[in-house]
Amino acid sequence: MSMASLQPAPRRGAFSRLKRNGSATTSMILLACLLLACFGAPLVGAALGTDATSIDLFNISAPPSAAHPLGTDEIGRDLLMRLLDGGRVSLTVGIAAAASATLIGTLIGLSAGYRGGFADAVLMRLADGVISLPLLPLLIVLAAIDPAKTGLPPELVQSEGFSLYRIVAIIALVGWTTTARLVRGAVLSLRERDFIEAARAQGLPPSRILFRHLLPNAASPILVAMTLTIGNVILFESVLSFLGLGIQPPIPSWGNMLTGAQDLISVSPMLAIWPGLLIFAAVIAFNFLGDGLQDALDPRAQNRRG
Amino acid sequence: MRRSARVLTIWLLLFLSALPLARPADAREQLVIGMTQFPTTLNPMIDSMLVKTYVLGMAQRQMTIFGHDWEPICLWCTELPTFENKRAKRFPVLDATGKETGREGVRTTYTIKPGAVWGDGTEITTDDVLFSWEVGRHPETGVADSSSYQEIVDIEVEDERTFTIVLDKIDYRYNTLGDFQLLPAHLERAAFANPREYKNRTLYKTAPGTPGLYNGPYRVTEVNEGAYIVLARNEQWQGKPPAFERIVVKTIEKTAALEANLLSGSIDYIAGEAGLTLDQALGFEKRHGDTFDVIYKPGLIYEHIEFNLDNPVLADIKVRRALLHAIDRKAISDKLFAGNQPVAHGAVNPLDWAYYDKLPTYPYDPSRAKALLDEAGWTEIRNGIRHRPDGTKLSLEIMTTAGNRIRELVEQVLQNYWKQVGIEVTIRNEPARVFFGETVRKRAFPAMAMFAWLSAPEALPKTTLYSSSIPTEANNWSGQNATGYSSPEMDRLIDAIEIELDREKRRELWARQQTLYATDLPVLPLYFRSDAYILPKWLKGLRPTGHKYSSTYWIEQWRDGSSASQ
Amino acid sequence: MTGYLVRRLGQALVVLWVMSFVTYGLLALMPGDPVDLMLSGDPNVTTADVARLRALHGLDQPFLERYGNWFMGALQGDFGYSRLFSAPVLDVLGPRLLNSLLLMGLAFLLAVSVALPASIAAARRPGGMADRLINLLCFAGISVPPFWLALLMILLFAVSLGLFPAGGMATVGDGGLGDRAAHLVLPVLTLAVASIAQYTRHGRAAMIEVLREDYIRTARAKGATERTVLWRHGFRNALIPVVTIMALDFGALFSGALIVETMFAYLGMGKTIYDAVMGNDYNLALVGLLLATSVTLAANIAADIAYALIDPRIRLTGRGRA
Repeated sequence: MSMASLQPAPRRGAFSRLKRNGSATTSMILLACLLLACFGAPLVGAALGTDATSIDLFNISAPPSAAHPLGTDEIGRDLLMRLLDGGRVSLTVGIAAAASATLIGTLIGLSAGYRGGFADAVLMRLADGVISLPLLPLLIVLAAIDPAKTGLPPELVQSEGFSLYRIVAIIALVGWTTTARLVRGAVLSLRERDFIEAARAQGLPPSRILFRHLLPNAASPILVAMTLTIGNVILFESVLSFLGLGIQPPIPSWGNMLTGAQDLISVSPMLAIWPGLLIFAAVIAFNFLGDGLQDALDPRAQNRRG
Repeated sequence: MRRSARVLTIWLLLFLSALPLARPADAREQLVIGMTQFPTTLNPMIDSMLVKTYVLGMAQRQMTIFGHDWEPICLWCTELPTFENKRAKRFPVLDATGKETGREGVRTTYTIKPGAVWGDGTEITTDDVLFSWEVGRHPETGVADSSSYQEIVDIEVEDERTFTIVLDKIDYRYNTLGDFQLLPAHLERAAFANPREYKNRTLYKTAPGTPGLYNGPYRVTEVNEGAYIVLARNEQWQGKPPAFERIVVKTIEKTAALEANLLSGSIDYIAGEAGLTLDQALGFEKRHGDTFDVIYKPGLIYEHIEFNLDNPVLADIKVRRALLHAIDRKAISDKLFAGNQPVAHGAVNPLDWAYYDKLPTYPYDPSRAKALLDEAGWTEIRNGIRHRPDGTKLSLEIMTTAGNRIRELVEQVLQNYWKQVGIEVTIRNEPARVFFGETVRKRAFPAMAMFAWLSAPEALPKTTLYSSSIPTEANNWSGQNATGYSSPEMDRLIDAIEIELDREKRRELWARQQTLYATDLPVLPLYFRSDAYILPKWLKGLRPTGHKYSSTYWIEQWRDGSSASQ
Repeated sequence: MTGYLVRRLGQALVVLWVMSFVTYGLLALMPGDPVDLMLSGDPNVTTADVARLRALHGLDQPFLERYGNWFMGALQGDFGYSRLFSAPVLDVLGPRLLNSLLLMGLAFLLAVSVALPASIAAARRPGGMADRLINLLCFAGISVPPFWLALLMILLFAVSLGLFPAGGMATVGDGGLGDRAAHLVLPVLTLAVASIAQYTRHGRAAMIEVLREDYIRTARAKGATERTVLWRHGFRNALIPVVTIMALDFGALFSGALIVETMFAYLGMGKTIYDAVMGNDYNLALVGLLLATSVTLAANIAADIAYALIDPRIRLTGRGRA
């Protein structure tokens, strides 16, 4: 809600519109619960007296019990704790990747829209090109290259969390296009408006005009795009995990838990059903929220609904 | 709205009309086998691959293989050469000037069985043997493992069906032809005109349906690259006729989908050689044990953890022993694999005659492990992790192939065990091609690397344990002794085993070799991997072998047990 | 129009050339090389074998030289051999491309013929029951992990109900039209789900926009039936943004096909490219990617042509003001 300070009047209306949108509100509550549970996992673990890494070979694929509310996995770890830990990773990756993609997209969109001319043409052709390519096969190539050969420092490449950084980087590299287009569109429509003209007439430097005046007014499409991107990233992480290129065990993520569990689908279906459901729920919630935000922030939405 | 509903209905009808019409009339005429891989080529020499051996076991057989009892047997030869039957003879090796070098060589004579013919009726002759040798030893052919061909100094042809192999050294494996593969000279010679192009021009690739390429009970009639291979009875086959009219080998990579295909009836049988993982098979048996038989066969796949002995922590034998005492391999085998993957105490499989059963073993004993670590100087425990008094932390890294679910799970279980005795182990996995291509080959793993060796019966560990097989930059990373293990005694024993032809004396040497291995612990033995064969109740006569010559070499014995005629 | 097309084709060629260079460079960054893969797990291969095989596959030359050789060959129509298949890459890719196009084409047709009626049904009364239901389904469609959906489809339709085959292209030894069609049902359904959802959402939004336009009000006022208003006036004009989305979505369809092909053991391009990348089969991966890119570029150009053919403003001025 920090956005509220930027442009008070319409935002307050927007928020109340968002609140009236049933599915968006439900999504928001759901997401808040998920985030709270995942990031508060150590507390949950302390309450249950277990954690995500304790292995109990004598209690494999156990059904739900008081000690293990969702049962245990194929090597006797607590499934609930694993899901919460995996959720923390998936959500963090989703948010981090979406934020980086949005950042890149915003910068490109701002410069393309504000500069116009040749820069605009080149950047937008680039965006068109990236959008129209068969992305997954290309991403497979990107995800499969040997990071050591790209000149990255070995400490980074050999760190346990490298697969996390890699997926964030890959998504940022290709996910910026939507935001860039939206921001460019907003900037183009704002550029000729009076207050920008006024600012320019005052002789303000372009960077100030861009970040002080244009950016806040383009905030709503950026926010919407980012929300939608988070959902897509979570989905995408699961797909890359399915292909063996996502987040690598032992770091749990919903995607690699689901992938690992599909081999055992007929023996312990719950191992696959839970992460699958959580991915589905989180993604659909982010999509509904994004959609709701769009409606709420878009002035035309009022006419549409009315 | 009504219009859209109509459009939807039309689509639904269209899809329903596409329902499968009927399954093939009599399913038992054919056997559909499901596997997870597709062979890259059917040429017996190019790319050694388990699934290719599997298919060729039915269609293209070689001179000698190993049998169910892991002893060498003749397939196309009349009998194995021995000194007793005069088919094997020693001779002194001369150098270029004609002087004796003091070494001995051996000549072994083989006779091709009468009635040995290719699928087009052409007889298998010494011509084929010579041609195969020429292809196999040619440097540009693209044969992955050319040692079986290059070790041969000469092949002397006596007549159409009898030939003598000349080797300039003698070792205990003298009386088999190893991986020597037969090619039909009358068909393949043209493709070999340009050796560099051979792998692309071979008829096994360009016209795999050619009957003359095969000599087994079946011949390949159709290859749909990546999807399936169809085999039909070979009319020229002189041996016991096989029971099924047709064999279809279908490839479905995802094991979950493979299982679904078995249940939905589109495949009959999942081959253990490249099929479900063991925990999947166990789960499958639990649910469908009434309609399918599951056979578990431990084999020559030796799962182990190699230590980097240059690591100062691991150079201490006490630490290595402590690492082994700290893990409950029995529990892992029992709980994760229902006891079907026997714990390994050394590199030699208990099914091998050379196995020595009085090896020193390292049972699960955390207190012993702790005591060993104390002795080794890791005495101070901070935050649950052992340190040396000087503050060095006992932290090791374990690596394995990413994407191998079972290995990744076992890794995490081991990590947990080690944590309990105060050893911190971090996990870093790499895709197989980096792991094998760079890390293991160049000994770039800092502490431990988990993987498996696939060996043959009574295989000599010369490339993996001999001190001159340690890969270094200086020798251009040749050799596969990735641990860096170097023991004059081990070298001596390996040399002695190689040239000892008397089996009982060799047994004695093997016992000492295995004892030394288990005492020095250059690697941490885990278990011998098992394959799970999932058969329909009616499929009888299938016997897994446990080594690389798969069950299909005995496909004539497979039959439909439910039909009265058999 | 012709000038425009020539320009677009020229641009496409430039994109392809850039792609070929970038991809070739990326492939050179792959870990290990094809020969390393042969080593894995076989204790008998020696370093001499490795050097011999590496020279045989031309892997001992520097990068630019290899690219140059490849490019000159490609200009003459020689795209080289696939290492995994030991066959010319075009022989490997040709049939697979057709398979993929069939799969994608059918999924596209299915998606369009479900999405258009659905989006009109939803747009008729925004916020109504039908709209909400369709909206919910659309969100579900774009939020479900595709491989998970495929697995559920197999378990439900193939294993439990036994209606359709669980995978493969055709029953061995049958291969009739009905049989092939039966094998296509589940892959097409799975692949179409995301597209249906995507098209419906955009179609609905476009329809709502259009239905607010003056000429719709005019048409209604003139007494045109609801069906005429919706289909003739509304639908036609809502088509343009939808066509744009479809063209943009073609790349996504390729991505989806990769997953579907893997799950259903369907021999298509996506799966082949994946295998080629994982198996260090440079030639196959490269040409496969270029073919996939060409197809998506072609789809984009086709969409542009379609766009020009059904441009609303031309029709609009022609009809609406009459």
